[in-house]
Amino acid sequence: MSLGIAALVTLAATCVLGLTLPKTVEQAEYSRMIAIHPGIAWTAYVASSVTALASILWLWPRTRHERWDLLAGSSAELATLFTALMLITGSIWGRPTWGVWWVWDARLTLSALMLALLLGYDALRRVPAEPDVRARRSAMAALLALVVVPVNHFAVTWWRTLHQGRSLDLTPKDSLDGSFLAAMTLGFLAMTLVYAWLLVHRVRVARLEDARDDLALEAAIDERRREAIPVAGA
Amino acid sequence: MGYVFAGYGITIASIAAYAGWLLRRARSLSSKP
Repeated sequence: MSLGIAALVTLAATCVLGLTLPKTVEQAEYSRMIAIHPGIAWTAYVASSVTALASILWLWPRTRHERWDLLAGSSAELATLFTALMLITGSIWGRPTWGVWWVWDARLTLSALMLALLLGYDALRRVPAEPDVRARRSAMAALLALVVVPVNHFAVTWWRTLHQGRSLDLTPKDSLDGSFLAAMTLGFLAMTLVYAWLLVHRVRVARLEDARDDLALEAAIDERRREAIPVAGA
Repeated sequence: MGYVFAGYGITIASIAAYAGWLLRRARSLSSKP
Protein backbone atom coordinates (compact mmCIF):
# COMPACT_ATOMS: atom_id res chain seq x y z
CA MET A 1 0.00 0.00 0.00
CA SER A 2 2.81 2.43 0.95
CA LEU A 3 4.56 1.61 -2.33
CA GLY A 4 1.39 2.52 -4.21
CA ILE A 5 1.07 5.82 -2.35
CA ALA A 6 4.75 6.65 -2.96
CA ALA A 7 4.28 5.87 -6.68
CA LEU A 8 1.15 8.02 -6.88
CA VAL A 9 2.70 10.97 -5.02
CA THR A 10 5.93 11.00 -7.05
CA LEU A 11 3.98 10.60 -10.31
CA ALA A 12 1.73 13.55 -9.41
CA ALA A 13 4.78 15.63 -8.37
CA THR A 14 6.50 14.76 -11.67
CA CYS A 15 3.47 15.97 -13.64
CA VAL A 16 3.23 19.23 -11.67
CA LEU A 17 6.97 19.91 -11.87
CA GLY A 18 7.18 18.87 -15.52
CA LEU A 19 4.23 20.94 -16.70
CA THR A 20 5.52 24.07 -14.93
CA LEU A 21 9.06 23.92 -16.35
CA PRO A 22 10.13 27.14 -18.11
CA LYS A 23 10.11 27.34 -21.93
CA THR A 24 13.49 26.89 -23.59
CA VAL A 25 14.98 28.75 -26.56
CA GLU A 26 15.50 25.55 -28.58
CA GLN A 27 12.26 23.68 -27.92
CA ALA A 28 9.84 26.21 -26.32
CA GLU A 29 7.32 24.35 -24.10
CA TYR A 30 8.01 20.95 -25.71
CA SER A 31 11.09 20.48 -23.50
CA ARG A 32 8.59 19.76 -20.68
CA MET A 33 8.40 16.20 -22.05
CA ILE A 34 11.78 15.64 -20.38
CA ALA A 35 10.01 14.94 -17.07
CA ILE A 36 8.30 11.79 -18.38
CA HIS A 37 9.90 10.44 -21.59
CA PRO A 38 13.42 9.55 -20.27
CA GLY A 39 11.87 8.04 -17.10
CA ILE A 40 9.55 5.86 -19.20
CA ALA A 41 12.48 4.72 -21.38
CA TRP A 42 14.57 3.94 -18.28
CA THR A 43 11.72 1.88 -16.82
CA ALA A 44 11.30 -0.04 -20.09
CA TYR A 45 14.99 -0.99 -19.84
CA VAL A 46 14.69 -1.90 -16.14
CA ALA A 47 11.60 -4.07 -16.78
CA SER A 48 13.35 -5.81 -19.70
CA SER A 49 16.48 -6.38 -17.60
CA VAL A 50 14.42 -7.87 -14.75
CA THR A 51 12.81 -10.24 -17.29
CA ALA A 52 16.25 -11.29 -18.55
CA LEU A 53 17.64 -11.78 -15.03
CA ALA A 54 14.60 -13.79 -13.86
CA SER A 55 14.84 -15.91 -17.03
CA ILE A 56 18.52 -16.67 -16.32
CA LEU A 57 17.64 -17.60 -12.72
CA TRP A 58 14.96 -19.99 -14.02
CA LEU A 59 17.29 -21.56 -16.60
CA TRP A 60 20.11 -22.03 -14.04
CA PRO A 61 19.39 -25.46 -12.46
CA ARG A 62 20.52 -24.43 -8.95
CA THR A 63 18.19 -21.43 -8.77
CA ARG A 64 15.27 -22.82 -10.81
CA HIS A 65 11.97 -21.95 -9.18
CA GLU A 66 8.46 -21.19 -10.42
CA ARG A 67 8.66 -17.66 -8.93
CA TRP A 68 11.36 -16.63 -11.45
CA ASP A 69 9.12 -17.65 -14.35
CA LEU A 70 6.20 -15.67 -12.91
CA LEU A 71 8.46 -12.67 -12.31
CA ALA A 72 9.86 -12.83 -15.87
CA GLY A 73 6.40 -13.01 -17.44
CA SER A 74 5.01 -10.23 -15.25
CA SER A 75 7.95 -7.91 -15.84
CA ALA A 76 7.85 -8.56 -19.60
CA GLU A 77 4.23 -7.42 -19.75
CA LEU A 78 5.21 -4.18 -17.99
CA ALA A 79 8.22 -3.81 -20.31
CA THR A 80 5.77 -3.98 -23.22
CA LEU A 81 3.60 -1.25 -21.66
CA PHE A 82 6.55 1.07 -20.97
CA THR A 83 8.18 0.43 -24.37
CA ALA A 84 4.90 1.31 -26.11
CA LEU A 85 4.65 4.49 -23.97
CA MET A 86 8.30 5.29 -24.77
CA LEU A 87 7.52 5.16 -28.50
CA ILE A 88 4.29 7.15 -28.15
CA THR A 89 5.72 9.93 -25.94
CA GLY A 90 8.89 10.06 -28.06
CA SER A 91 6.83 10.42 -31.21
CA ILE A 92 4.72 13.16 -29.60
CA TRP A 93 7.92 14.98 -28.56
CA GLY A 94 9.49 14.46 -31.99
CA ARG A 95 6.62 15.89 -34.05
CA PRO A 96 6.96 19.57 -32.95
CA THR A 97 10.76 19.49 -32.47
CA TRP A 98 11.93 17.35 -35.42
CA GLY A 99 8.96 18.06 -37.68
CA VAL A 100 8.10 14.35 -38.11
CA TRP A 101 6.23 11.74 -36.07
CA TRP A 102 8.65 8.99 -37.02
CA VAL A 103 12.03 8.47 -38.67
CA TRP A 104 13.83 5.19 -39.26
CA ASP A 105 16.99 6.06 -37.33
CA ALA A 106 18.86 3.56 -35.15
CA ARG A 107 17.28 4.47 -31.78
CA LEU A 108 13.69 4.57 -33.02
CA THR A 109 14.01 1.46 -35.18
CA LEU A 110 15.58 -0.55 -32.36
CA SER A 111 12.85 0.64 -29.96
CA ALA A 112 10.19 -0.53 -32.42
CA LEU A 113 12.01 -3.87 -32.75
CA MET A 114 12.14 -4.13 -28.95
CA LEU A 115 8.36 -3.63 -28.76
CA ALA A 116 7.74 -6.24 -31.48
CA LEU A 117 9.95 -8.78 -29.66
CA LEU A 118 8.24 -8.10 -26.32
CA LEU A 119 4.81 -8.55 -27.92
CA GLY A 120 6.08 -11.83 -29.38
CA TYR A 121 7.26 -12.91 -25.92
CA ASP A 122 3.88 -12.04 -24.36
CA ALA A 123 2.10 -14.01 -27.11
CA LEU A 124 4.43 -17.00 -26.62
CA ARG A 125 3.59 -17.13 -22.90
CA ARG A 126 -0.10 -17.45 -23.77
CA VAL A 127 0.41 -20.54 -25.94
CA PRO A 128 -0.99 -23.46 -23.89
CA ALA A 129 1.74 -25.77 -22.55
CA GLU A 130 2.97 -27.57 -19.45
CA PRO A 131 4.35 -25.02 -16.91
CA ASP A 132 7.95 -26.24 -17.33
CA VAL A 133 7.75 -26.19 -21.13
CA ARG A 134 6.24 -22.70 -21.07
CA ALA A 135 8.90 -21.46 -18.65
CA ARG A 136 11.79 -22.91 -20.66
CA ARG A 137 10.74 -21.59 -24.05
CA SER A 138 9.79 -18.20 -22.56
CA ALA A 139 13.17 -17.88 -20.85
CA MET A 140 15.01 -18.73 -24.09
CA ALA A 141 12.89 -16.27 -26.05
CA ALA A 142 13.48 -13.54 -23.42
CA LEU A 143 17.25 -13.90 -23.63
CA LEU A 144 17.19 -13.79 -27.44
CA ALA A 145 14.82 -10.83 -27.53
CA LEU A 146 16.52 -8.74 -24.88
CA VAL A 147 19.87 -8.57 -26.66
CA VAL A 148 18.29 -5.51 -28.31
CA VAL A 149 18.18 -3.56 -25.00
CA PRO A 150 21.91 -2.74 -24.59
CA VAL A 151 22.27 -2.14 -28.34
CA ASN A 152 19.33 0.29 -28.16
CA HIS A 153 20.86 2.07 -25.16
CA PHE A 154 24.16 2.69 -26.96
CA ALA A 155 22.55 3.35 -30.37
CA VAL A 156 22.85 7.14 -29.97
CA THR A 157 26.59 6.77 -29.31
CA TRP A 158 27.41 4.17 -31.95
CA TRP A 159 25.44 5.64 -34.85
CA ARG A 160 24.49 9.10 -36.09
CA THR A 161 20.81 9.46 -35.14
CA LEU A 162 18.16 12.17 -35.16
CA HIS A 163 17.47 11.25 -31.55
CA GLN A 164 19.53 13.30 -29.08
CA GLY A 165 22.40 11.78 -27.12
CA ARG A 166 22.09 10.60 -23.54
CA SER A 167 19.85 12.91 -21.47
CA LEU A 168 21.86 12.41 -18.31
CA ASP A 169 25.57 12.96 -18.69
CA LEU A 170 27.71 12.96 -15.58
CA THR A 171 30.41 15.11 -17.21
CA PRO A 172 29.92 18.86 -16.71
CA LYS A 173 29.99 19.84 -20.40
CA ASP A 174 26.42 18.86 -21.38
CA SER A 175 24.73 19.16 -18.01
CA LEU A 176 21.06 20.14 -17.88
CA ASP A 177 19.68 23.21 -16.15
CA GLY A 178 18.84 22.51 -12.48
CA SER A 179 15.03 22.53 -12.76
CA PHE A 180 15.08 20.26 -15.83
CA LEU A 181 17.50 17.88 -14.13
CA ALA A 182 15.27 17.79 -11.01
CA ALA A 183 12.12 17.10 -13.07
CA MET A 184 13.84 14.36 -15.06
CA THR A 185 15.31 12.72 -11.94
CA LEU A 186 11.90 12.80 -10.24
CA GLY A 187 10.43 11.26 -13.42
CA PHE A 188 12.97 8.40 -13.20
CA LEU A 189 11.98 7.79 -9.57
CA ALA A 190 8.24 8.05 -10.22
CA MET A 191 8.26 5.63 -13.18
CA THR A 192 10.46 3.16 -11.27
CA LEU A 193 8.05 3.22 -8.30
CA VAL A 194 5.03 2.85 -10.61
CA TYR A 195 6.76 -0.14 -12.25
CA ALA A 196 7.53 -1.72 -8.84
CA TRP A 197 3.93 -1.30 -7.65
CA LEU A 198 2.48 -2.68 -10.88
CA LEU A 199 4.95 -5.59 -10.79
CA VAL A 200 3.88 -6.61 -7.26
CA HIS A 201 0.24 -6.72 -8.39
CA ARG A 202 1.01 -8.41 -11.73
CA VAL A 203 2.91 -11.22 -9.95
CA ARG A 204 -0.03 -11.62 -7.54
CA VAL A 205 -2.46 -11.92 -10.48
CA ALA A 206 -0.14 -14.45 -12.17
CA ARG A 207 -0.11 -16.57 -8.98
CA LEU A 208 -3.92 -16.42 -8.74
CA GLU A 209 -4.23 -17.41 -12.42
CA ASP A 210 -1.93 -20.40 -11.90
CA ALA A 211 -3.88 -21.46 -8.78
CA ARG A 212 -7.15 -21.23 -10.73
CA ASP A 213 -5.70 -23.34 -13.58
CA ASP A 214 -4.48 -25.96 -11.09
CA LEU A 215 -7.95 -26.16 -9.48
CA ALA A 216 -9.62 -26.49 -12.88
CA LEU A 217 -7.22 -29.30 -13.82
CA GLU A 218 -7.84 -31.16 -10.53
CA ALA A 219 -11.61 -30.81 -11.01
CA ALA A 220 -11.38 -32.20 -14.56
CA ILE A 221 -9.29 -35.19 -13.36
CA ASP A 222 -11.77 -35.90 -10.53
CA GLU A 223 -14.64 -35.81 -13.01
CA ARG A 224 -12.89 -38.30 -15.29
CA ARG A 225 -12.22 -40.60 -12.33
CA ARG A 226 -15.88 -40.54 -11.32
CA GLU A 227 -16.87 -41.40 -14.89
CA ALA A 228 -14.52 -44.39 -14.80
CA ILE A 229 -16.11 -45.93 -11.66
CA PRO A 230 -18.67 -48.57 -12.81
CA VAL A 231 -22.18 -47.99 -11.51
CA ALA A 232 -23.47 -50.99 -9.43
CA GLY A 233 -26.09 -53.06 -11.30
CA ALA A 234 -25.42 -51.41 -14.63
CA MET B 1 1.04 22.93 -25.42
CA GLY B 2 -1.32 20.39 -26.99
CA TYR B 3 1.50 17.94 -27.71
CA VAL B 4 2.78 18.16 -24.13
CA PHE B 5 -0.66 17.58 -22.61
CA ALA B 6 -1.21 14.70 -25.04
CA GLY B 7 2.07 13.08 -23.92
CA TYR B 8 1.30 13.43 -20.22
CA GLY B 9 -2.37 12.47 -20.70
CA ILE B 10 -1.67 9.29 -22.66
CA THR B 11 0.98 8.23 -20.12
CA ILE B 12 -1.25 8.75 -17.06
CA ALA B 13 -4.33 7.24 -18.75
CA SER B 14 -2.42 4.13 -19.88
CA ILE B 15 -0.88 3.49 -16.45
CA ALA B 16 -4.23 4.08 -14.73
CA ALA B 17 -6.06 1.77 -17.16
CA TYR B 18 -3.50 -1.01 -16.67
CA ALA B 19 -3.53 -0.61 -12.86
CA GLY B 20 -7.33 -0.67 -12.86
CA TRP B 21 -7.39 -3.85 -14.95
CA LEU B 22 -4.87 -5.51 -12.61
CA LEU B 23 -6.88 -4.66 -9.49
CA ARG B 24 -10.17 -5.82 -11.06
CA ARG B 25 -8.54 -9.06 -12.25
CA ALA B 26 -7.05 -9.76 -8.80
CA ARG B 27 -10.42 -9.13 -7.13
CA SER B 28 -12.22 -11.36 -9.61
CA LEU B 29 -9.72 -14.23 -9.20
CA SER B 30 -9.70 -13.91 -5.39
CA SER B 31 -13.47 -14.02 -5.09
CA LYS B 32 -13.90 -17.29 -7.05
CA PRO B 33 -13.98 -20.48 -4.91
